[in-house]
Amino acid sequence: MIVQVQGLWKRYPAFALADVSFCLQPGRITGFIGRNGAGKTTTIKSMLNLVHPDSGEIRFFGLSMPEHETEIKKRIGYSTGTVSWYPRKKLRDIAAVVKRFYEDWDEDAYRRYLALFGLDEEKTPLALSEGMKVKFNLLLALSHRAEVLILDEPTSGLDPFSRKELLTLFTRLKEDGVAVFFSTHVISDLEKCADDIVYISGGRIVAAMPKADFVRQHCLSGESLEDAMLRMEGGGV
Amino acid sequence: MPAILRKELTLSASILAYLFILFALMFFIPGYPILCGAFFVTLGIFQSFQAAREANDLVFSVLLPIAKRDVVRGRYLFVCLIEGAAGVLMALIVLLRMTLLSQSPVYRSNALMNANLFALGAAFVIFALFNLIFVGGFFRTGHQLGRPFVIYVIVVFPVILAAESLHHIPGWEMLNAFGTDALALQLGLFVLGLAVYLSVSILACRKACRRFEKMDL
Repeated sequence: MIVQVQGLWKRYPAFALADVSFCLQPGRITGFIGRNGAGKTTTIKSMLNLVHPDSGEIRFFGLSMPEHETEIKKRIGYSTGTVSWYPRKKLRDIAAVVKRFYEDWDEDAYRRYLALFGLDEEKTPLALSEGMKVKFNLLLALSHRAEVLILDEPTSGLDPFSRKELLTLFTRLKEDGVAVFFSTHVISDLEKCADDIVYISGGRIVAAMPKADFVRQHCLSGESLEDAMLRMEGGGV
Repeated sequence: MPAILRKELTLSASILAYLFILFALMFFIPGYPILCGAFFVTLGIFQSFQAAREANDLVFSVLLPIAKRDVVRGRYLFVCLIEGAAGVLMALIVLLRMTLLSQSPVYRSNALMNANLFALGAAFVIFALFNLIFVGGFFRTGHQLGRPFVIYVIVVFPVILAAESLHHIPGWEMLNAFGTDALALQLGLFVLGLAVYLSVSILACRKACRRFEKMDL
């Protein structure tokens, strides 16, 4: 396994992440599903050391996150669909700063993905659509050859065409051996491209398994993934 | 140049932080509380903090492959660079006023503080207060700017008032020395101000690093 989250606890006055555990494998797409407020972003922030869990362990490449933070961050990439960095700076300037932090920055890959994503370096994040913002974050991650991509609701706010484009890209990255971990509350995203599912509800992991196993264990006869999850979330049998 | 400093200078900084360095030129203005120039320099840095916060700079920085404490160090380095640039400009003006302009009547009749080495030391004390109260206060939360800045203002203006008027106290006239008068005392006060600046800034940075390390973003 490439990422291991084990027994993660984080207590807030009105919410708690409780004993969150799952693993990510290289070359697989893992969909992290749960309704708004289920704990997806807190889990992701804990994985990135933005939030300090009360207990539990997070390991990337067999290394503990707090002890090997710098080393791990060089090998992972993060993107969110909801936040944009430096909205009034040109993409060229942001990239020029970021590349100095990575010894193995791949300028050829940067140019290749820039063309592939149709990004204009002279534009600012403010001038980008939500989908293009996600692509710019992905561009930065892929240019330093990230082995794990952690994406917080990357398809949020995207039109169906951009969403399909992004999910196709995930599949391509998976074929290159990248582990893609993306949170979403759009269940159809999982149906289209996920190999594994981590399902969180009320701060607890309900299921963390291959999608095929999830369907076998949790979907009733003739029931779609979406119907099954809506039923489970609603407390039905 | 460390990558984090380059990020501060090119992405996080507001143009006002650079422009407001020119407020150091207030050391030329006669009959004006010149230490306000030091305050305005810090006001430019405050604008930078505001711009950086709106650009989600802290989270962006923490996601870079550096330790969290290096994000704080980078910010302090940037702040000290701006303050240092303003300090150099002030020092040049002080040098001019101590030499070529030392007999200028317009400065001699000034009721307020003369731009001498004591004034330069006092400017560095103001910078030290900014680094301690505002920058340190910001790194308590990582987002709150107003409260630490108001506290800084409340503290810094009595300090400016005191520094500008101390030389009116009988026996303390030499604080307002012109030219090379009382040079040993003036130099001593400047070195003291600089020492306060360096020690307070280093301690404030260390404390901010420890706080930031524990902070949830």
